[in-house]
Amino acid sequence: MANGYTGKIARINLTTNEITTIDTAKYEEFGGGYGIGAAIFWDLAVAPGQWDLKDPYDPRHVLPIMAGPLAATGVPGAGRTSICGISPETFPTCEFFRGNFGGRFATMMKLAGWDGIVVEGKAERPVWINVINDQIKIESARELWGLDTWETQDRIVSMVGGRTRFGEEWQKIGDSYTTGIPQIVCIGPVGEAKSRLAALIQGSGVSARIGGYGAVFGAKNLKAISVTGTGTIEMADPKGMLEARLWQMGGGSLVTGSFAPAFTGSASCHPCLRADRRRNNYHGGETMCVDQFWLSDKGDAARDLASEALMRYGASGWAAHFVGLFVSDIPGAPEFFHKQVPVETGIGWYLRYLHEIGVLGPGKEIDSAPLPMDQWGELAFREAFLDAVSRRAGIGDALAEGCCRAAQKWGRLEKDMESGALRFPAWGATGHWTLPSVEWAYNYMLGAGDPSWHGLVTAVGAPRGGTLEESLQRLSKKTIPYTDDIFMFNYAWKGEEAWKTGIYSPHKAKEVAWSRHYASFWNESMAFCEMFLPSLETLTPEIEMKYYRAVTGKKDSFADTMRIGQKIWTLERAIRVMHGRSRKTEDFAPFMYKPGASGMTFWGGVPIYENGKWRSDEAPEMYLDRKGVDDFKTHYYALEGWDKENGWPTRKTLEEFGLKKVADVMAARGRLGS
Amino acid sequence: MAESEKAAGKEKRVLRRQFLVGGGAALAAGALSVAVPQPSSAAECKPSYPSSTGYIVYDSRLCWGCQSCMFACSAVHYGNANPALSRIQIIRDAPSFTKYPLDIVMAVCRQCVTPLCVQNCPTGAAHVAAENGNVRVIDEEKCIGCRMCLQSCPQRPRRAVWNPSTQKSTKCDLCLDAPFWGRKGGPDGEPACVTICPSKALKLVHEAPPQEDVSGYDVNLVPPQPKTKRKPGTPAAPKA
Repeated sequence: MANGYTGKIARINLTTNEITTIDTAKYEEFGGGYGIGAAIFWDLAVAPGQWDLKDPYDPRHVLPIMAGPLAATGVPGAGRTSICGISPETFPTCEFFRGNFGGRFATMMKLAGWDGIVVEGKAERPVWINVINDQIKIESARELWGLDTWETQDRIVSMVGGRTRFGEEWQKIGDSYTTGIPQIVCIGPVGEAKSRLAALIQGSGVSARIGGYGAVFGAKNLKAISVTGTGTIEMADPKGMLEARLWQMGGGSLVTGSFAPAFTGSASCHPCLRADRRRNNYHGGETMCVDQFWLSDKGDAARDLASEALMRYGASGWAAHFVGLFVSDIPGAPEFFHKQVPVETGIGWYLRYLHEIGVLGPGKEIDSAPLPMDQWGELAFREAFLDAVSRRAGIGDALAEGCCRAAQKWGRLEKDMESGALRFPAWGATGHWTLPSVEWAYNYMLGAGDPSWHGLVTAVGAPRGGTLEESLQRLSKKTIPYTDDIFMFNYAWKGEEAWKTGIYSPHKAKEVAWSRHYASFWNESMAFCEMFLPSLETLTPEIEMKYYRAVTGKKDSFADTMRIGQKIWTLERAIRVMHGRSRKTEDFAPFMYKPGASGMTFWGGVPIYENGKWRSDEAPEMYLDRKGVDDFKTHYYALEGWDKENGWPTRKTLEEFGLKKVADVMAARGRLGS
Repeated sequence: MAESEKAAGKEKRVLRRQFLVGGGAALAAGALSVAVPQPSSAAECKPSYPSSTGYIVYDSRLCWGCQSCMFACSAVHYGNANPALSRIQIIRDAPSFTKYPLDIVMAVCRQCVTPLCVQNCPTGAAHVAAENGNVRVIDEEKCIGCRMCLQSCPQRPRRAVWNPSTQKSTKCDLCLDAPFWGRKGGPDGEPACVTICPSKALKLVHEAPPQEDVSGYDVNLVPPQPKTKRKPGTPAAPKA
């Protein structure tokens, strides 16, 4: 196969040291990236039925690390690396989840000739995987274990690159040459400690911070994967690909999507095409806002040192959240947090909360040693926190398990979930956004944590031309196949309208479904940065299709791609169902049903239709109704072809997607929707 | 294996700054004679060549490091994506995550006034295209794959590129022969790398930049900022 795909996926078993090849063509129907990764996960981890899918540290855990077909072709923003598997981070159960990271790993992996690398098993001793074109070696990581992520990458670059002088020489590989250096994804001490706060780090500040997959690397004794490639990626229409780029640049910049105001040369938050290395807070402008501002109010130097420590230790800037990017208020919160409560809880906030209410501190009910609680807001505390977690020293042992599990250990879980002191909308996973973006909240619940998908938040905001209704009419033409229904974008949350056309109605189910189907195909599988596309106010869906067709040569329509997205989402649902997901387990945390649940919004709020009129409203008082959410589930399950009772995909639905084998497995294990 | 390893032991270490002198004119008879002993150096270069009418200059501070130019280069010349075949190399990920401005090296063919690749080509494959603005190009039909041009290039890393699938050398031709580029290339056209660069860090110029030092090609391409009146009492914009 060609045109965007290398045609093969490496399967590496760390228990047996066996390295085999999977034919990408077998999975091409799932698009690429995450879609193929999820399908491989089903085939290798779910279908055999030898593993209950509960423990992410089980050697049978299969971890697909995938690139999309548009990576390494010159298509901008499409080079993200996808990772999926059982997440150590989610709570109370470890759910099937996915994450992705930017940087250049996927690009280099494809140039080395691989559409993905699937890791399974567990090495007896620490190892790293060295991929140089078609040569794959499992190397000893004895000298790397214990190093931070920057040291690890430096060491591997030296080992792979030999004496090549950076920026001065080409490195000879076989009969090829490259000026590129190995691209490496690795873990730091936090991942080695199998902390659920662990991220995968690539480069200086690119991280897969959702899901805690760094801990899975740690459990597999896998320190790093390095890829070096000098190969070629074919594409169907190179001229068309370049013309698409120029068409996209026609507006003066490649910057589109949710954060369009960030322009060339600005201090944007994107570690890819929109990065600005002149900021110089990091190498190459890498890192994302959530990591940059891990310590935000102590000046630039302390801020940079704190986020550097976060990256070097390999911790997730989300799971180890200290102060929110977006702050709100909680009724009854201690004075210290007045108007400063992060929209979603981070472990740092929770520590301070417990300290403020007097239950955590030196010699207290929850002993804070070795953390210097009196320095909570200082750089020294951040460093002590990372050190304690990575050594699991003192309170660090509980913290390494994440907020919910720590709260459970301390006997505070129910109390603090109920009060809203622990603000995890669903599945115990830290995020950064929910209400009033209701579609974001529903994605939390239907998935396994923060969807981290901004596609609609600006598009439904205050109109930049014409009336709100006209703006929504334009938007409703783009949401193929659910077109011409502007009530999809109605965020009415109170009274009869909420059920009739608002957030508990069948209309809202369409908006949520569209967002999942789009994200599953275009962001997770074609690997477009979700900050980059969709660009619903302007270029979507034209630009996606221009790139897709130019690279792959496929004749699919946009509706076809959305259908593939729905197929991937249905398969994801099937995996979740196989380890216990059902209507009963799918719910929000108690605080989401109480005043104070809403956070904040930008871009003029959300559109609300009431009394026959549309208005933009920031809806700060929004909270959810239990019966309403239950009614929403009924509408949503029906739209997706899942059964009403359990939310399980039916045989008819699965077979319409060509997933008969999946239906057979589910039926055999009593999990098929009826 | 790094190219440096070949010469290990007998090579005199040459600092990059010293090595990156332009076109080889003042170079370095010493450096070349050690690292590349066979081809003649610029100092020994007898013939004079008509100057190219097109040069790509760049702003290494403006570059994002996205490598779009590299992918564009291979796409327009070969119809596929292979940065290793790109005739412009953006080298990033400096060791130990060195910060700006040392994090990225832009390696752009200089269309040297004294082109050693042309001087040392034994078959005339590397030549001055008189009919196309004197751009220095390699005729792959004539190339015998001796790699003399690779060794001759005084820049580090070398700007001539080895194509392992054809066993021949190539170099930047300002997109004169770019079958997959929908626009006119050459010194009077639009080289793909320049047109596709999202940060406008590349520019086609028609006067030869100073040849003596690398900085002759690394120029300020930041567009002039529109002058706006600052309200009294408001702070000045932070420096980039």
